[in-house]
Amino acid sequence: MRFFEKILKIDRRWIFLIVGIVVIIPLIFPIGMPVLTTPPVRSLYNYVDKLQGTGKAVMLVTDFDPSTMPELLPMACAILRHCFAKKIPVYLYGGLYSAYVGMAEMALEKTLPDFPDLQYGKDYIFLGYVPGVSLVILGMGGSISGTFNTDYYGNKLDTLPLNKMVDNYKNIGIVIDLSGSASPETWVIYGYQRFGVRIGVGTTAVSAAQYYPMLQTGQFVGMLGGLKGAAEYEQLIKKAGIPTGRLEATIGMDAQSFVHIFLIFIIILGNIAFLITKKRKV
Amino acid sequence: MMILLILSLSVKAFDTPNDGGGSITIEVVGLNGDLKNGYVYRNSMEDTTFELRGLISRTSYKYVDDGAENGKEYLYKVELEFDDTTLTLFTGPVSAKAQWYDPTRTSVLIFLIIFSGFVLWFIQLARKNPEGLFIRKIPALDAIDEAVGRSTEMGKPTFFIHGLSGITDAGTLAALTILRRVSSKVAEYETPLIVTNYDPIVMAASSETVKQAYAEVGKIDNFNEKNIVYLTYEQFGYTAGVDGLMIRENPGAVFLQGYFYAESLILAETGHSVGAIQIAGTTAATQLPFFIAACDYVLIGEETLAASSYIGREPVMLGSVKGSDYGKLFIMIFIGIGVIFATIATILNIKGNSILMNAFNTFMGWL
Amino acid sequence: MNISTDIWVWIAALLTLFIYSFLYKDNPFYKFAEHLFIGIGVGYTTVLLWFNSVIPKLWNPLVHGTSPMRFFLIIPILIGALMFSIFSKKNNWLIRIPIAIYIGAGSGLAIPLDFEGLIFEQVKGTILTKSMFNSFIVGFSSIVLFIGVIATLVYFYFSKEHKGFVGKTARVGIFYIMIAFGASFGYTVMARVSLLIGRMQFLLHNWLGIIK
Repeated sequence: MRFFEKILKIDRRWIFLIVGIVVIIPLIFPIGMPVLTTPPVRSLYNYVDKLQGTGKAVMLVTDFDPSTMPELLPMACAILRHCFAKKIPVYLYGGLYSAYVGMAEMALEKTLPDFPDLQYGKDYIFLGYVPGVSLVILGMGGSISGTFNTDYYGNKLDTLPLNKMVDNYKNIGIVIDLSGSASPETWVIYGYQRFGVRIGVGTTAVSAAQYYPMLQTGQFVGMLGGLKGAAEYEQLIKKAGIPTGRLEATIGMDAQSFVHIFLIFIIILGNIAFLITKKRKV
Repeated sequence: MMILLILSLSVKAFDTPNDGGGSITIEVVGLNGDLKNGYVYRNSMEDTTFELRGLISRTSYKYVDDGAENGKEYLYKVELEFDDTTLTLFTGPVSAKAQWYDPTRTSVLIFLIIFSGFVLWFIQLARKNPEGLFIRKIPALDAIDEAVGRSTEMGKPTFFIHGLSGITDAGTLAALTILRRVSSKVAEYETPLIVTNYDPIVMAASSETVKQAYAEVGKIDNFNEKNIVYLTYEQFGYTAGVDGLMIRENPGAVFLQGYFYAESLILAETGHSVGAIQIAGTTAATQLPFFIAACDYVLIGEETLAASSYIGREPVMLGSVKGSDYGKLFIMIFIGIGVIFATIATILNIKGNSILMNAFNTFMGWL
Repeated sequence: MNISTDIWVWIAALLTLFIYSFLYKDNPFYKFAEHLFIGIGVGYTTVLLWFNSVIPKLWNPLVHGTSPMRFFLIIPILIGALMFSIFSKKNNWLIRIPIAIYIGAGSGLAIPLDFEGLIFEQVKGTILTKSMFNSFIVGFSSIVLFIGVIATLVYFYFSKEHKGFVGKTARVGIFYIMIAFGASFGYTVMARVSLLIGRMQFLLHNWLGIIK
């Protein structure tokens, strides 16, 4: 009885400490638990893979900031590596809000060293920021060069070879929005419903649950949910023999699994303690 | 054969229908799969040069030229390459223009009229007779009286914590109506009430609401403006401030009403740790799980608006809740009829009669 | 161990530790990091907005542009400036003009597309059709989804008391809602743990070089 009472009164700082230790130990001493892929991730991977040789581009949108970087930046890197390896042209768009452009730059910095043969302007273009949110999505349906004028580096878009082939959604095979907020919905509403461009989504685990209805109706081609989704995509590109760099998401999966086991344990223990002490008081 | 094919071929160019302009469609009529390549060239009628625009699709035999200027006339030349020969066809002049109405979105217009009609109709009814429109009582409303009563018995203050949205948000307006009800009760019981605010305009509205409630109960002298507290416009600064106040003042009841973000669980946990009875209400779906875990009563999403309509009977909000109720009823009936229709169509289709199935598919495509 | 020599990595690592020190208790290091974060966040956003929006979209076209149409930009600038009328007690009613335009145009743009994307597609996805029953699991899930959608809509139907058949259906609805909230809670816990893992990877790999 005293034990269960003590459990209910435990100082939360002990729990913080244990969670911290449970995270650190698997990172230092990795086990390498298998990462099994799920249908939403495979669906997105296969769709991107099939774009190889079609001449259609992938538009990767980094609609996230540093607060959600641990989950979404590995997704951006994995998708970029996939496209670069398969010679699928990429429009890297720094996001619907100005604070997100830095994330796109970081993703490029992490992936480009493994692909020295890529040519800027022909294999990929980095679009900067333009204000307007939904108006930008609508504008790109007409003309990307009309909406942006220049790329992130100040080059006029209509001088770049890739933009001459792909200037609106007609030649974009898929828009993949990586976001921790509600922007995937915005892309579906203004991109898919209006212009028919297919949308894929990479999202934080916080938002993943709310996007399953759109996945079920086919409005999203596929979905990467949280760090696990990023790890699954990393495993798929690793299996395809594509240079993966440091597998940040996969490395985190051991720690993720152990923390979840610990949390399940203390939730069950806490509930048992609550029920027992409640029963004894009655 | 080739001569017959050539004679049957024609090309037409027309303004792409149902768009915002800037687009011309070129279609080759009479092809039957022998085409090797089809090139589309355009002349803007300012000189004699034709520029290459793109390739004819080998499945639809169409090309859509998205780079046309509205109102400007163009000539098109189409070069069709077959195995043995190449054929050049001309068409035009044609110009692009924007359409005022897109008939492919007629379904949206119809549903918009139906839903808007419900809302406007009920707002009118609510204006004439607000008490005549029935809204069921939300269970958490009884808890408001219980919570304030408990606070009074324990000799502790009551806290009302606004969310992080502004005065234009429906959730904030609903929260103000609930604040009115809470203020009436605390004024009656002479319990101290502390209202924390994130937005300065919401603070001004809260102050007026509480003052009015005290005046209605005849205890305006007990109203203390200093208890309507503006903390900060910074999310976690506000959270830290509210937490600090809760720990110092030790409330008996805490109301968390409005739109919350990541700070929701921090606030609810602190309220739980001081032993207060907590009633939360928010339209932020991502924060509801945290309130449900940490609070005693929760107004889930639209229940906040319904509760405020139940209390305040304000015509616009009441009419909107009723109108959206009928909208939901319409959707439920629509789904039910859709399922029955699809089932009957499938059964008949299996038996060889595909009329209903074709009708169903056409309707779903129109939707 | 391969400790980083990059000053920015050290600054990021120390600020991370300052923020995490709050888990023990509030302290001056945490307060310093929090205030620094808030200040830099505001400054960064302001600068980005100025150089990415105001300068290229307003200043440059007006001052350096050549098209006579550019003077039309003055109209939205003046309408936007009316937002500052909130500070005047006498003229604060003027703020209704830009708000009305913003909400009106925004609603006109968003509502039809929201209907299509968020309501019609979901309704179409809920209606049970033969193609959903090609596999047992998809068919079973579709029935569960159908029941859940109807029951949840009944729960949020406020024009009838929850008694009898309506009450029982609403009970099924709240059951579905709670399962959904549980899943959402679990996902959120996973997300928070992922953020912790990301920061730990930064400290152990980028800063201390303990892990590869």
